[in-house]
Amino acid sequence: MTKHQQKPASFLERLIFNNRPAVVVLCLLISAFLFYQAAQVRPQTSFEKMIPLGHPYIQKMLEHQNDLANLGNTVRISVEAVEGDIFSKEYMETLRQIHDEVFYIHGVDRSNMKSLWSPSVRWTEVTEEGFAGGEVIPQTYDGSPESLEDLRDNILKSGQIGRLVANNFKSSIIDVPLLESYPDPEDQSRQIKLDYQKFSHELEEKIREKYQAQNPNVKVHIIGFAKKVGDLIDGLVGVALFFIVAIGITFVLLLWFTRCLKSTIAVLITTLIAVTWQLGLLHTLGFGLDPYSMLVPFLVFAIGISHGVQKINGIAMASGYTEDPVTAARMAFRQLFIPGMVALLSDAVGFVTLLLIDIGVIRELAIGASLGVAVIILTNLILLPVAISYMGISQRAIKQAREEASRDHPFWRALSNFASPKVAPISITIAVVALAGGLWYGQNLKIGDLDQGAPELHPDSRYNLDNDFVIRNYSTSSDVLVVMVKTAPEGCSHYDTLAAMDELMWKMQNTEGVQSAVSMVSVARQGIKGMNEGSLKWETLSRNQHVLNNSIARAEGMYNSDCSLAPVLVFLNDHKAETLEHVVAAAKDFAEENNREGLEFVLAAGNAGIEAATNEVIAASETTMLIAVYLAVSIMCLLTFRSLAATLCVILPLVLTSILGNALMAFMGVGVKVATLPVIALGVGIGVDYGIYIYSRLESFLRQGMTLQEAYYQTLKSTGKAVIFTGVCLAIGVVTWVFSAIKFQADMGMMLTFMFLWNMVGAIWLLPALARFLIKPEKLRQKA
Amino acid sequence: MSEPVLRRTLSGRAKVANQARASRFHSSVAGMLSLCGTFSLLLLAASAPAQAAADGQIRYSIESAKAASNLLLDITQAGERIVAAGDRGHILFSDDEGNSWSQAKVPTRQLLTAIDFIDDKHGWAVGHDALVLNTIDGGESWAVQYEEREREAPLLDVWFEDSQHGIAVGAYGALIETIDGGQSWDDISDRLDNEDGFHLNAITYIEGSGLFVVGEMGGMFRSADMGETWERVESPYQGSFFGVVSGSEPGVVIAFGLRGHLFRSADFGDSWQAIELSNGNGQALESGLADGSLLRDGRIAVVGHGGAVLTSDDQGRSFKLVNRPDRRSLSGVTSDSQGNLILVGQGGVRIASPSGADLAPKQ
Repeated sequence: MTKHQQKPASFLERLIFNNRPAVVVLCLLISAFLFYQAAQVRPQTSFEKMIPLGHPYIQKMLEHQNDLANLGNTVRISVEAVEGDIFSKEYMETLRQIHDEVFYIHGVDRSNMKSLWSPSVRWTEVTEEGFAGGEVIPQTYDGSPESLEDLRDNILKSGQIGRLVANNFKSSIIDVPLLESYPDPEDQSRQIKLDYQKFSHELEEKIREKYQAQNPNVKVHIIGFAKKVGDLIDGLVGVALFFIVAIGITFVLLLWFTRCLKSTIAVLITTLIAVTWQLGLLHTLGFGLDPYSMLVPFLVFAIGISHGVQKINGIAMASGYTEDPVTAARMAFRQLFIPGMVALLSDAVGFVTLLLIDIGVIRELAIGASLGVAVIILTNLILLPVAISYMGISQRAIKQAREEASRDHPFWRALSNFASPKVAPISITIAVVALAGGLWYGQNLKIGDLDQGAPELHPDSRYNLDNDFVIRNYSTSSDVLVVMVKTAPEGCSHYDTLAAMDELMWKMQNTEGVQSAVSMVSVARQGIKGMNEGSLKWETLSRNQHVLNNSIARAEGMYNSDCSLAPVLVFLNDHKAETLEHVVAAAKDFAEENNREGLEFVLAAGNAGIEAATNEVIAASETTMLIAVYLAVSIMCLLTFRSLAATLCVILPLVLTSILGNALMAFMGVGVKVATLPVIALGVGIGVDYGIYIYSRLESFLRQGMTLQEAYYQTLKSTGKAVIFTGVCLAIGVVTWVFSAIKFQADMGMMLTFMFLWNMVGAIWLLPALARFLIKPEKLRQKA
Repeated sequence: MSEPVLRRTLSGRAKVANQARASRFHSSVAGMLSLCGTFSLLLLAASAPAQAAADGQIRYSIESAKAASNLLLDITQAGERIVAAGDRGHILFSDDEGNSWSQAKVPTRQLLTAIDFIDDKHGWAVGHDALVLNTIDGGESWAVQYEEREREAPLLDVWFEDSQHGIAVGAYGALIETIDGGQSWDDISDRLDNEDGFHLNAITYIEGSGLFVVGEMGGMFRSADMGETWERVESPYQGSFFGVVSGSEPGVVIAFGLRGHLFRSADFGDSWQAIELSNGNGQALESGLADGSLLRDGRIAVVGHGGAVLTSDDQGRSFKLVNRPDRRSLSGVTSDSQGNLILVGQGGVRIASPSGADLAPKQ
């Protein structure tokens, strides 16, 4: 301690402590402004933010978005008849009312909406007269038993069984394509962005609740991206409760740790100010709070508390030498500002590497977290010591700090054995075995989603139950890969184009994981058969262009207006990463073999195409991100300690944690995806704090000429408690997430808790063992 | 309530260029063939491989586990073996009465419409692009004998008398004959009184009587001299006929087509009797009937759209109707030694009970 006191006061320290009232007033002003801003932060998200916009698949998809008739973003409402089947007057009436009600919800692409009540849903039949057809529900429908019987016939002839009508006739679907933005009903020139939460609530209130109450014989099942996101955002509200729980637990722990109510409140308040600032800045910069960056306020809170604790610890110790709280605060500031800065900068650098990943939500998380960390520098490294300098610290805390400094600690004494020549080799051996085991088991780690349905939500969530209902009762899965077939204008109906599309469809249908494939070819084949009196012998493409042109007349929506782009829809069994990889590879092969002048097979759209692209981006970024984050923290350590050995001592325990973390993910059946990818960077970025705090202390004691084990004992005695406390604090900040209604938050919480705790264990247990082999105390002594 | 969208009347047809097709066929191909005789036959025979070569390599049908559950159009016996043909050049054969299927090596990916065997080795298949394929190893490997893409129309049925003489019929009045086992084909469509070039949908040999061809717009033709001369038959129905089956008694003809129309003649087409077809509830059958067979146990089976299966054990005087629950359209039928029906159509091949209903699950 004495050494630090001799350090002269820096310019920054003088600037701050000579203008304490100004600092406090300034912070209050900023807080007032940002609190106002933070109050306006709303949960929000968008489809485009969750997808890798730079990936060629996505770029091609966006390029042709207008031609693709909204393949990406659809909600499907399945209305189930609990008793009996859909052929009852009451059911059909309820279905009609729901159809009409949905039609008027803002954001619905009305022209492409489809249900049994849509005029576009038709049946066809071959008669002596030729090709006959009509609306499935004709104008003459009146709900009488006869017209219901007609309806049944029409449905049988319409080919909608398994699509709009369940295979068991007990439910039917309303297909609702959405517009990401729609014209303001009051001012048509203005576009309003679709508010998913509002939309989802409207579906609940105006559709599910209303009609289930009105007709007890129907059950409404709703699936689709918009509903999923709506549910996720609702889940966020639950997460707010966890925040309060985390504050409560942290308060108790802080009180136990500091034995001082005043400083406990000071730390809590400055940290909450940091969270407020971060949220306020987020809103000021135009961001909202989406389900993925919801993590950030928790992280900021946890990091803020841990640094606050270090500060309080420092001030309490400094108070042992001086009665004046201002001097104590100044001393603590002088002593801790640099390591605090370094640790926080390492955090920030770790977060910033997430910007490398080309997915909007991850980038926002990176920006949000970096902002948060920057804010903590102001609040907890500057405002907190200033605040304490006014408030002072309780005598009890000071007394305890003095006692702690002088007495012997058997617990720390025992732990210091980790640095002993006997224990260190054993530790290293265990670590190497764990590393090898982790690497081996980590091979099972998969990219992407591993479960059916929406993996963001729990398997027994209503959304997933609804999804399961639709998968069980209909033939078209909700996982669609779209291959776009590009030709010259008017080229999509050429025999060569259609024949190649037909080949692609057959190849895809013969690929494992594919349920079925549909394109304008399917319609053309049926059309040609229809033109030939329904004879199956004509169910193929014709080489006659007139016949082909006629045959695709009914394929509206299956090709664009100038017939230069036609999608091939490939329905998949599921969206597991292997399935996607497999199917995409088959489509790519086909494209490479068959692309030629004037005919190009372009990947990919559809939700499976997007997920395939996301998986590719994540697989590619995973390594890049790991290299970047380790490079960044290594450079931070090298700059701080100017020693390769020291850097290794700090970094290697983190590597072990990362690898064990991967193994844990594999064990829990969680894939690397948008939600879990950031965890590794966050874990490393924050985990490096412990190493930096411990090693910087250890080094200073070694320079004083102590042996390694003695130096480590002194280190533990002075900061060991703070480090363990920090680990626990961070873990508490995120462990409550395990109870989140949102599965990926639960997974994130579990992973981060593991990372934070294990990084702490690594720093306390493995760092000294590595130091035993890597650090030469004599050299440090010479330098000193 | 119903609104016809694309009327297949004479005036409507002209717009769809069918007429143009038909006349072109008559003027160029038919004219050339009948005028130049054997010379052009050689030319045609030579043109088939030439065309394949121009296309690069021969494109064989893709071997697929899904071939047996994909569209199949015709099924027949080749000795004890059962052979079926259909979509994408798929030809499948089974040596265990339809329980398991192997896929033949076929040098096309076109839709094959009909298949016929004269014994356990020699068979022919026809299809779109006016393809004729033949096999000499019981259907395991196939070669293209004839192909004419410019025709832009399919052959729809084929019949062989023996290893040399055969006739195929097709769209727009196509009628071609071979007397050298398919090496060369002669266009004989002008032997038929079919000036408008209506589709000829099926050809069969009527026991003890001669050849019978049915087609579009009530077209019926017969030949008592194995195709040398043809005579138009007074048709009992003006809608299209899709198929014709012989009874086992001489002169019995069963012809059937659109909207559940089925007629029986006991005198090789001189007189006809409409056979009423209805299900157990007395509802008349309204689906089109596609194809039929005289089964080895002497029964007659006819199948069609919407999963309709008709069976008769009285030489076609009456039929029992079963509508299969999956309602998928059928287009070919044969039977196994137990009398079970082996059906093909949408969704490929399936084995049904002798009446056409689903088989009880095996114990």
